[in-house]
Amino acid sequence: MEPQLIHELVALLGPNAVLSEAEDLMLYEYDGSVELGSPRCIVFPSSTREVSEIVRLANRYQTPLVGRGAGTGLSGGAIARNGGIVIVFSRMNRILEIDEANLRAVVQPGVVNLDLSRAVEHLNLYFAPDPSSQKSCTIGGNVSENSGGPHTLAYGVTANHVTGIELVLPDGEIVRTGGKNIETSGYDLDGLFVGSEGTLALVTEITVRLTRKPEAIKTLLAVYDTLDDTTESVVDITVRAITPAACEMLDGFTLRAVEDFVHAGFPKDCAAVLLIEVEGLTETVEAQAAQITEVCRIHGAREVRVARDNRERDLLWKGRKNAFGALGRLSPMYYVQDGVIPRTRLPETLRCISEIGRKYDLQIGNIFHAGDGNLHPLILFDERDRAQFERVVAAGNEIMQHCVAVGGALTGEHGIGMEKNELMPLIFTPDDLALMARVRESFNPDGRLNPGKVLPLGKACGEIRVQPMPVSATSPA
Amino acid sequence: MSLPAQATLTRLEEISGAAHVFTEQTDVESRQVNGLCPSAVVRPADVAQIAEIIRFAAAEQLAVIPCGGGTKLGIGSPPLRYDIALDVSRLNRVLAYDARDLTLGVEPGIRIEDLLRVLGEQKQFLPLAVPFSDRATIGGIVAANSSSPLRHAYGGVRDFCLGMEFVTGEGTVAKSGGRVVKNVTGYDLHKLLIGSLGTLAVITRVNFRTFPLPPSQGTFAASFSDAEAAFSFCRAIAHSVLTPQMVEVAGPSAAHLLFSSDTTARVEPRMWSVIVSAAGQPEVVDRLAHELGHMASKSAAEEFMPLGDSAAQSILTRIREFPKIVLEAAPSATIFRIGSIPTAMAGLLGELAGVATRNRLDLITLTRASGIVYAAFLPPEGGLSTITAMINMAREVFQTCGKPEIDASAMIEWCPPEVKRAGGGVWGPPRNDFALMRRVKAAFDPRGVLSPGRFAGGI
Repeated sequence: MEPQLIHELVALLGPNAVLSEAEDLMLYEYDGSVELGSPRCIVFPSSTREVSEIVRLANRYQTPLVGRGAGTGLSGGAIARNGGIVIVFSRMNRILEIDEANLRAVVQPGVVNLDLSRAVEHLNLYFAPDPSSQKSCTIGGNVSENSGGPHTLAYGVTANHVTGIELVLPDGEIVRTGGKNIETSGYDLDGLFVGSEGTLALVTEITVRLTRKPEAIKTLLAVYDTLDDTTESVVDITVRAITPAACEMLDGFTLRAVEDFVHAGFPKDCAAVLLIEVEGLTETVEAQAAQITEVCRIHGAREVRVARDNRERDLLWKGRKNAFGALGRLSPMYYVQDGVIPRTRLPETLRCISEIGRKYDLQIGNIFHAGDGNLHPLILFDERDRAQFERVVAAGNEIMQHCVAVGGALTGEHGIGMEKNELMPLIFTPDDLALMARVRESFNPDGRLNPGKVLPLGKACGEIRVQPMPVSATSPA
Repeated sequence: MSLPAQATLTRLEEISGAAHVFTEQTDVESRQVNGLCPSAVVRPADVAQIAEIIRFAAAEQLAVIPCGGGTKLGIGSPPLRYDIALDVSRLNRVLAYDARDLTLGVEPGIRIEDLLRVLGEQKQFLPLAVPFSDRATIGGIVAANSSSPLRHAYGGVRDFCLGMEFVTGEGTVAKSGGRVVKNVTGYDLHKLLIGSLGTLAVITRVNFRTFPLPPSQGTFAASFSDAEAAFSFCRAIAHSVLTPQMVEVAGPSAAHLLFSSDTTARVEPRMWSVIVSAAGQPEVVDRLAHELGHMASKSAAEEFMPLGDSAAQSILTRIREFPKIVLEAAPSATIFRIGSIPTAMAGLLGELAGVATRNRLDLITLTRASGIVYAAFLPPEGGLSTITAMINMAREVFQTCGKPEIDASAMIEWCPPEVKRAGGGVWGPPRNDFALMRRVKAAFDPRGVLSPGRFAGGI
């Protein structure tokens, strides 16, 4: 990168909004995944206008550009794979408008997910998508990755909660799509941009739905002695068309790590638990809680416990949301996957994952969104053991192959990024991918915006790329 | 057709068989789009035939318009060209229905009524209470993004469609999304097809999540002396913890269309009515009945009543079929579909009434409290309909919607051809994201084979 570009960026944004020293850049080399990439320069714009100017400058210098929120992503979406400029949105973190009457908020991309919910709490409202990293991840990042979370089972993912976006296109043009209305005439461009992983445009403002808090919430903890009983309960809850707001599963191995860490009162001697939440009107909640308790008992739950109060509920959720971090205490490094399967295939899939763990002599924890079939097998390893790392990659690949074979998907909420892009041919034909590539080209013609993400590079078609050696444990909450 | 017509027919017959290519006047007229007839109607058997037809059309620069039940061919701008009607009604199978997993994959030609029957056997449904239900097919419902009152509780097609397979304007079979309920693998290209009116691709498979039928249901009607009171009732519902299935506001002149003569509800003409449906456990429905009644009286309702089963069924059907009922009563009606936020609705409806009066037209409105206003402008009873008045009205409606305090997004779903061809067209003034839509069109259909000209911005 030419020093002249840095000078121009400083002239544009001021010296406090540009980082280019090696020790500063190191902090932006990674995200929550096991990927790495070295940017040449970090910029902190304060306005859409500045973002547009940065993009125009980058175009003059033909430099790659990557948008970044809090860097909690789990697929390398915010990593500068080909170097270049990383645009960090942390200074664009204002909530621009709270429109209570219309249940909308207009926010800048750097607003932290949970901060929005806190800002509307007094109105008895919240922002429904709740990724486990919600204390630090940003709404801009949620939009780019189409983030989910435990409660997306009932409320949907980010795409279901975005009605309008302001974008800066790779040529620097500023465009708005959608708005506060639930529909605008024309193609559903919001639907395309949400989840496009920052490869089509940079998101500079978002209009989101706000959701009214439910009247009643009940949190149940069902404790099991076998994994099969646990997964069969989830299948039966689905089959009976009971729709809890969240249905999370933690296996015994994970639980023990979590309990030692957060002391939430999880039983340490069980095979697995289900953490189930029902929400809505008091009458609905009572009826659903009773139905769920019955299903769990039919399938051999040794105990079904209801959280007595908010404190107990918060503790259970603290355990769930900090589980990745807890496992990080047991192992220098872990590799978390995000495959999705039809919910009725859960029992055989969990058996398959155990089998794969034994085959490759790896410890795999399971903590995931069971209710929508979104798995998070978490493979523990030590990055200094290269042979073990290769087994991790092979095991991960086999789990993914299984998900695809039963009719599932590669990722439910973490994104493809640079972690799974070479796996895309497992799901998509060359024609599918060619069309996606063409859509990307129509917005991002020379591919300088977030290069090397989502679509396979074609270097190892259908094969697993061996990831670079990771440097340190990460714990994306 | 640029090719000699006979050569085109021969090729279509080679692809789909002579028994599935139609050229009789009645056949082509039944597939006319805004007065333009195709040279031939072809009914392919499968995806491979569709791809081949499109590739042939692309090579010969022929224009293709996909269709199913043919109930919504009138929507959109008049096509620039139209050679082949591609009728997908033979692709009408349920490809995969995993009731245990609450997921479904269907072909585009299946009629919504038939599909709902299949789902009903498993006590499930899709929240698509859409017009022309006796003939409308899934492909058309998705391509026109037909409006359903159930969107209030379940979201629109974009919220419960999991993925699609489709044939692009180059005859390439492609897909996006998948069959599982949560998925961020690749770009959500299928979302672009929802509401695209067949301008990007021919839909060949749609995957949905399905929903359990609620154990019990109740429907209530409240009447109010003015719009402000009716909307204050809607606001009270929105600010409560209650989650009804639908909340519909019928303007005064809509009452006689929506309430059949046999209904027990004595809804006064010139009243504003709000129709609310509740679903869930019987206790939940009972509670909604009680609390809605209380809210209605606080909003100065003249009347609030639960509807009996047959009255409820009748009004729900009429709400679902609203555009069809209006068009049957007044074939020359102009029906706007307007996306609006709740706080702007009462003001918008007031302005629309003013537009109607100024142009000496009647106005019938049905508003989904979740954010869609249906406004039908009709020639007054016994009065002369002047096309000039309709054209003038349309211009004023688009202007009204563009006012900052209203900020609504309007399109005309149904109108006489003269209104379509007038200055504003059916899509209203261009927005700044039309340029992006052109890029999307170029990626899917670079040669302009599919429904050229029907979409916003001349796409």
